[in-house]
Amino acid sequence: MAAASETLEEFRASLDSGESSSRALVEAALSRAEGIDERLSCFVRMRAEGALSDAEEADRRRAEGEARGDLDGIPVAIKDNMVMEGEESSCASRILEGFVSPYTGTAVERLRDAGAVVVGHTNMDEFAMGSSTEHSCFAPTRNPWKPDCTPGGSSGGSAAAVAAGLVPVALGSDTGGSIRQPAAFCGVVGLKPTYGRVSRWGLIAYASSLDQIGVFTRSAAEAAEVLEVIAGHDPLDSTSVPEPVPRFREALDGDVSGLVVGLPAEYFERSEGCDPEVLAAVREAVATLERAGATVREVSLPHTRYAVATYYLIATAEASSNLARFDGVRYGRRASEPKDLGDMYRRSRSEGFGAEVKRRIVLGTYVLSAGYYDAYYRKAQQVRTLLRRDFDAAFERCDVIATPTAPEVAFGLGEKTDDPLRMYLSDIFTVSANLAGVPALSLPCGFSRGLPVGLQLMGAPLAEAMVLRVADAYQRHSDHHRQRPPEFA
Amino acid sequence: MSIGVHPDYEVVIGLEVHTQMRTASKLFSPAPVSWGEPPNHCVHPVCLALPGVLPVLNVLAVELAIRAGLATHCTVHEQSVFARKNYFYPDLPKGYQISQYEEPICTGGWLNVPVERDGERELKRIRITRIHMEEDAGKSIHDAAVTGRDATHVDFNRAGVPLLEIVSEPDMRSPEEAVAYLRVLRSVVRYIDVSDGDMEKGNFRCDANVSLRRHGAEEFGTRTELKNLNSFRFIEEAIRAEIERQAELLDDGGRVEQATMAYDPGRRRTRVLRFKENADDYRYFPDPDLVPLVLDASHIERVRATLPELADARATRFQRDFGLSDYEAAVLTASRTFADFFEAVVEAGAGGTAAASWILRDVQRALKDRDLEIEASALRPEALAGLIAMVEGGRTTARSARGLIAELVERGGDPEALVAERGLEAVSDTGTLERVVDEVIAAHPDDVERLRGGEQKVLNFLMGQVMKQTEGKADPGVVRKILAERVG
Amino acid sequence: MAEIGGDEVERVIALARLALSEEEVAGMARDLGAILRHAESLAALDTEGVPPTAHVIPLATPLREDSAVSPLDPEIAVANAPRAAGTAFVVPRVIEGEEEG
Ligand SMILES: [Mg+2]
Ligand SMILES: [Zn+2]
Repeated sequence: MAAASETLEEFRASLDSGESSSRALVEAALSRAEGIDERLSCFVRMRAEGALSDAEEADRRRAEGEARGDLDGIPVAIKDNMVMEGEESSCASRILEGFVSPYTGTAVERLRDAGAVVVGHTNMDEFAMGSSTEHSCFAPTRNPWKPDCTPGGSSGGSAAAVAAGLVPVALGSDTGGSIRQPAAFCGVVGLKPTYGRVSRWGLIAYASSLDQIGVFTRSAAEAAEVLEVIAGHDPLDSTSVPEPVPRFREALDGDVSGLVVGLPAEYFERSEGCDPEVLAAVREAVATLERAGATVREVSLPHTRYAVATYYLIATAEASSNLARFDGVRYGRRASEPKDLGDMYRRSRSEGFGAEVKRRIVLGTYVLSAGYYDAYYRKAQQVRTLLRRDFDAAFERCDVIATPTAPEVAFGLGEKTDDPLRMYLSDIFTVSANLAGVPALSLPCGFSRGLPVGLQLMGAPLAEAMVLRVADAYQRHSDHHRQRPPEFA
Repeated sequence: MSIGVHPDYEVVIGLEVHTQMRTASKLFSPAPVSWGEPPNHCVHPVCLALPGVLPVLNVLAVELAIRAGLATHCTVHEQSVFARKNYFYPDLPKGYQISQYEEPICTGGWLNVPVERDGERELKRIRITRIHMEEDAGKSIHDAAVTGRDATHVDFNRAGVPLLEIVSEPDMRSPEEAVAYLRVLRSVVRYIDVSDGDMEKGNFRCDANVSLRRHGAEEFGTRTELKNLNSFRFIEEAIRAEIERQAELLDDGGRVEQATMAYDPGRRRTRVLRFKENADDYRYFPDPDLVPLVLDASHIERVRATLPELADARATRFQRDFGLSDYEAAVLTASRTFADFFEAVVEAGAGGTAAASWILRDVQRALKDRDLEIEASALRPEALAGLIAMVEGGRTTARSARGLIAELVERGGDPEALVAERGLEAVSDTGTLERVVDEVIAAHPDDVERLRGGEQKVLNFLMGQVMKQTEGKADPGVVRKILAERVG
Repeated sequence: MAEIGGDEVERVIALARLALSEEEVAGMARDLGAILRHAESLAALDTEGVPPTAHVIPLATPLREDSAVSPLDPEIAVANAPRAAGTAFVVPRVIEGEEEG
């Protein structure tokens, strides 16, 4: 059973026709993962036994005419920062080695309630801090299109697993672009919903006011389907939005006539260091939408150039506090034979966290410390207001905003690890959506030097349906999302 | 002018009280609140700060905080914000405490506190700076018998329990005033059902900021903070000990350093736990896992409507309806059960001023001697009213009645029966009393002369002698009349 | 917004309960300097009167009814503990008052 070319639709058809079973699909995913993952390191942990028994349950339900819905029996992967009862989650960090969660996070629970079978946890930058999945305590994930390139990050494992056809659906999390940038680098669809649309309960926090769970799929239609399952108000998350979840799929009518696509000048003309081939592919994708009936209009997001600095001040400040709980007292790693309490804290944390995590903890601690709070953290929260106002104004003039997802295609392994600022600046096109809390999606729109290029579509708050509608319409007029990495076709 | 507790220095005391709110579940976690369970038997993933958990605010805690604010004349704010106070300690599971910092729920209140100054009883207004909600930490167990010599055990049962922190202005000038304030505050939170105020369980505990300054000085001296005092007696002793320590330092030309102190009751001394210096950097910032707490004015008014008649309002009513002094009214209403008892005694037929004076003098002393609260005493309001009626009707004397109060407090009973049983009826039989008076006059001829010469205070002496002869049972009115006739 | 000095880095590392080698501290000072220099662009931006945004979607305060759920099985509560004694977590002996907030 070659799972590589199958979409969610095809998986379901084979289940419905009885041509295949959930058990067979899950077995295929597990064995492909075993073969391929030697090279790609998409997964950090497979869940063979549990997944097979879940699959058998799904098959039994289907046989009894009690299938739970469209995802019943479908193998899925989740990022290693999501917890599931009785399973390990480590955030790809030594400090959480061996941690077994006694509870399940909401998004994962909703997927499982819909019948989806979790086959394993995917690789990531440690604590979701990175843009390349190289900052993992496990081996770095490789890009299925070109294994000496990174898959992007931090949800690189999930993106690569979908791109390589290991699973049709994977969950990721996006704090400053960690779904969209790897989706772009791996040539798949990655959706970051509106902040608060998907519950964060059970998502191991990086930066609480920016973190958002989202999905990787091959197509926008599939992303719509999965989002319907995981989205919606959750009383366990005080920042969860108490709005009903629309039937996103019903918005996918393929029609963009009359819609206005906004192009922010700051992401095109004035953007420095953006690869011309990337820009060309994105412009061509916009032209495709125009031919399909959309109107294109220039808009302005004037505070864009402050976004990366704003993002790194807020994200690291919150992270420095969120990661204080990793102290070696209740779970996770404790340094051996600590000589006293202070020694236990310092060595457990220094041995347990990787260099990038420590860098961000120190930066965030500095930003919040006495005398700097106003100049950095408070200032950044004010700039955030300005960024949000930019988006509000822009969405008065357009229905979606189109930009490149990343200024370049996938970069080489090890290329940026020595220069954190350069790594941070590669998030330049994605961080604004997190700061403003708006939904954003990346979809494949072409190739440069054999590597996928991502088109980013951003929408007004809670307007996932609009973003998905435009993405779906584009995919009806293009076949970039049907391209497979040659080795994994 | 008073020289206060120290001849050279004025004592300045501000108090921070942590009182546990009466809820079934924790402030941000649905774990049960209970006491005395074995370690970690009352925890939920949120209390352990497991990876991926999030806080959700308990609605009852908010209501109780509003009640506390209203009962202490605070402004209850329509918006307040939870912040993270970041520091590392093994019993602090998240590495930060969720508390309110820049925008607390209540600010700017006060309480009237009965104090004694230069022998005068009066009410003093102590200002309350702020009241905020926060979560408690867990418990570190240092007892080497349990943990062994090299270890500390950590129990998170208490982690996340909802607390109110009530911060006063530095308005107190003696350890007694500090305790008087705490007694009023504790009875207020109990009165309005915010907390059981149980000090033994740590549900009402206090940190005291103490400093000294020369009498007349305007600037405050450097203060130290006495941590975690959990009985009125220790609070008073600890503050006294700290005043001594600081005064000695200053007398020797030294200076007080900012420090956190602990009180050692065994040695009756305070000692430095750690100096503050500038090591404390809590990196407060608004908790991004929570949104601001927004209450509308009508919500606050709805809570106000559910409050019982508050102590001050009741005190004003007592003054108006029963002619009590402001001091008497304040003391009687400081505790709801005390005020209820007073009203029940009046209801049972006693006059307001008589009831107040019997309760404040004799009943209160009997309670204090036995370390009892009024609700734990056996004295029935009807019994006290009955006893007062017997005194006023001349059927027993005040002195006899006073002697029965302790027994009534301890064991209860019917005053009529007790008076009869003990033979404490007032002696008003004129024949008997004339005989006693004559004996007294015969035994004290000099004094009788002085009385005739106009020395009125001798009358009291002679009255006393008659009382002594009759074991306090003589009706004083009748005795006075006979004495007047004989000496005349 | 100043350049970040070695002493500053040491102070912050201590606050964050980390222990770094001299070399790591130097690297950290260099990287933080670069990042903070980049962040200096914000200083020039006029934000007078601009309210800070903590959350982008305005929400009514979510409140939870005061009802308790059954607690975690105590064995499970300490199952991940690096060291436990019975159902208590165990840490190196703490001197009262040490490192307290
Ligand atoms: Mg305090
Ligand atoms: Zn406090």
